[in-house]
Amino acid sequence: MSSHVEAYCVYYRRYIMKRTLTFALALALAASAAWANGAKEAVPKANGAAVAGTPQKKVLAFGQATYGETLDMQISTGSLAAAIADEVTESLLRFDDDNNEEVVLLTDFPTLSEDGKTYSFELKQGVYFTDGTELHSSDVKFTFERMFTPSTGAKSYSYFNMIVGAKDMLAGKATELAGFQIQDDYHFTITLEYPYAPFLENIGTSYADIFPEKACKAAGKSWGVDTNLIGTGPYKLQSNDGNTVCVLVKNENYHGGQVNLDEIDIKFYSDNTTKLLAYENGDIDVTDLSASLLGQYKDAYGDQITSYHPLGTTFLSLNLDNDVFSNLKVRQALSYAIDRKELVQYVLDGAGKPANTYLNPAIPGHDDSLPVYEFNIEKAKSLLAEAGYPNGVTIDGGKVRQSESALAEAVQGYAARAGINLVYDVVDNATWNQARASQTLPFTFITWNALYADADFQVYNYFYSTYSRGKSVNYNNPQFDALMDQARVVSDPAQRAELYRKADQLLSHTDLACVPLYYPQSQFLARPYVKNMKVGNLIYHLWNVDVDTEAKAKF
Amino acid sequence: MRRYLVKRILLALGILFAISIITFFVLNIIPGDPVALMLGDNVDPETIETVRHNLGMDKSLGIQYVEWIAGFLTGNMGESYFQHKPVLGMIVDAFGYTARLAVVAYAVALVIGLTFGILAALHRGKALERILMAFAVAGISAPSFWVAIVLQIFIGLRFRAIPISGLDRPAAYLLPCLSLGTRYAASIARITRTSMLEIMNQDFIRTARAKGLARARIVMVHMFRNALIPIITVVGSDLTTLFAGSMLTESVFNIPGMGKLLVDNITKRDIPVVQGGVMMVALLCVVIYLVVDLLYAVVDPNIRLEE
Repeated sequence: MSSHVEAYCVYYRRYIMKRTLTFALALALAASAAWANGAKEAVPKANGAAVAGTPQKKVLAFGQATYGETLDMQISTGSLAAAIADEVTESLLRFDDDNNEEVVLLTDFPTLSEDGKTYSFELKQGVYFTDGTELHSSDVKFTFERMFTPSTGAKSYSYFNMIVGAKDMLAGKATELAGFQIQDDYHFTITLEYPYAPFLENIGTSYADIFPEKACKAAGKSWGVDTNLIGTGPYKLQSNDGNTVCVLVKNENYHGGQVNLDEIDIKFYSDNTTKLLAYENGDIDVTDLSASLLGQYKDAYGDQITSYHPLGTTFLSLNLDNDVFSNLKVRQALSYAIDRKELVQYVLDGAGKPANTYLNPAIPGHDDSLPVYEFNIEKAKSLLAEAGYPNGVTIDGGKVRQSESALAEAVQGYAARAGINLVYDVVDNATWNQARASQTLPFTFITWNALYADADFQVYNYFYSTYSRGKSVNYNNPQFDALMDQARVVSDPAQRAELYRKADQLLSHTDLACVPLYYPQSQFLARPYVKNMKVGNLIYHLWNVDVDTEAKAKF
Repeated sequence: MRRYLVKRILLALGILFAISIITFFVLNIIPGDPVALMLGDNVDPETIETVRHNLGMDKSLGIQYVEWIAGFLTGNMGESYFQHKPVLGMIVDAFGYTARLAVVAYAVALVIGLTFGILAALHRGKALERILMAFAVAGISAPSFWVAIVLQIFIGLRFRAIPISGLDRPAAYLLPCLSLGTRYAASIARITRTSMLEIMNQDFIRTARAKGLARARIVMVHMFRNALIPIITVVGSDLTTLFAGSMLTESVFNIPGMGKLLVDNITKRDIPVVQGGVMMVALLCVVIYLVVDLLYAVVDPNIRLEE
């Protein structure tokens, strides 16, 4: 008995000693890590503190989600990264807050040769990067060649790979871009393999931001990481940890004239609720407001909410290779079953406009004369019966992201009333992406946005036969493809718009290859002392934003 | 002793090897293609293939594993697919946040928990004990993210001097540490009370009282000191858990620590970061327990004899 007790005591002592030592070690480790980290961390002053210290300093605190990429827009694709990068680096052209393209680094829009393949550019003189080097044609050439150099890993080169020689560079067969010819420091031409109407619009995206050759080469792989980004833009990077805050300061030598703000603090929040609490708390002056939280903030902050309509459409994406959805009557039944006006009013809290066709209303080619898709449950049932499903039908295996789950639930309810049972799982982004790329996903929900107001971006990239496969749509109508091809080479805007109107009619009415639901509305919150805050599409550009410091001090 | 040492080290290496295998293969077989996610929607299949090739993802899983583990052993955990930063640097930065949060939060938990526990024990059967233990039950039951949001709304928004997110100034520690500390304070309070009650009935306490010692001295020196050992057991265990990162608290308070790093990158399928993060946490735990085992063997001669 006594040996048993003794053994127990030994065990107990061992246990206690082990845990005590564990604690001591853990504590020592934590203390050393805390000390090391605390010593190296230098966090910029909070917005309020900076203003209090220097009353005249114009500081804007902008809240957004963590961008989680680099700021090199040749290898990053997200609008959150672009929102920062576009303050620092500029493309030759850009889109203003009304989605109109304007010249930035050029004296005027480039001229186009008679064969529609060669663009002639003239750079503005006296444009300097923030490292003091002047912008020359060689920097532009370097930027495009970098994009097509395989080791760069550029992700959006397909918007530009119609430039002569681009494909050779991408294949590793050439190190120079044959279609880019420099006349002198300020003049150059770009020649395309074939006329491509949206080329100049692509030139105006963040993906064509111009980099200084010398600095970019010197930075190597770290270009775009933290503060390793130099451009000609109105602001330059002062600090950026990529996790909590990125501080931009005024470019005193900006070629575009006076820059309004002394400093922009872009604060990162991964949690939407926390971001909005930070707005309430006065930690940030401007932030986006998701539709799901609109109702919560509409009453208290209605006068600080600004709505805008991005160039996108939210729709039910169907797989036309699916046994059930290959039947046009089923697709029509599904469309008739959905009350889009009610959907927008109650599910979205009014943050959208019921769709009458796929093409967004702000994009040339959209047909305003078409009525909103009709809601008629009896017609839906009748069409379903005609399709061979008088007792209803179940479509299993759909996948929906969390961001569209409320919408999916509502549409599921509408469809069920017509006898169409949509069964889906809510999955994360990565799983959803893979399922969609498999070409076999029966249905999902998505908002497809264009970077600029051109149907090529909104329609071609999703529904052109070769692209629609990777989206699990499998739409293949040669007539539609021919219209899209034709619209790419026609330069007359009115003619292009007419071609897109016809293509859209085919896509979203005759074939009903998807079920358009609504044109989404986005919104942001901005304090009254924030001036000129406007958003045209997906990316928050702060080029023109100003802060009334007196009003801010009194607020 | 040498055999014991070799045995423990081999066991630790085995555990790490098993974790590396599980982590690598699980991450590589779960649904979700990081490349498709990285490239966004406007991308053609050729671009996807090019990027997969550039990242070495077109190689067999076996080769990818060997390359990864070889890199890990030489201190090169690779580069984030999305941020293009060295994984090791990202982990070190995140661990710094987690460690600071853990240490301060646990200090808060200790102060509250020990005070409540001692007071509850000293007022056994009285209203105060019931109130304090009700707090303990509530603290253990309430999810930390809920406590976090409640604190943000009811303290952060009312007292503007207290930041509701981040860890950039001393005041910013208040809410996350209260949120995280409350749960641990509750468990410390319960174990302290139980432990103190056990000690209170011991003969040596009665003797101390009979000797006429001051109450404060009896409580702090004789009772609390002897009640401390089980408390430290709980504390040690809690603190090591905290180092893995408090995902929900970090997310709500926007603290870029280990929990947030891992969750954010699991969602994105940034495999090198997740692999590196999981391995570093595993390595940390294994090393701590290994050193503890070894130290114990050094300190306690019985172990050497037994082993």
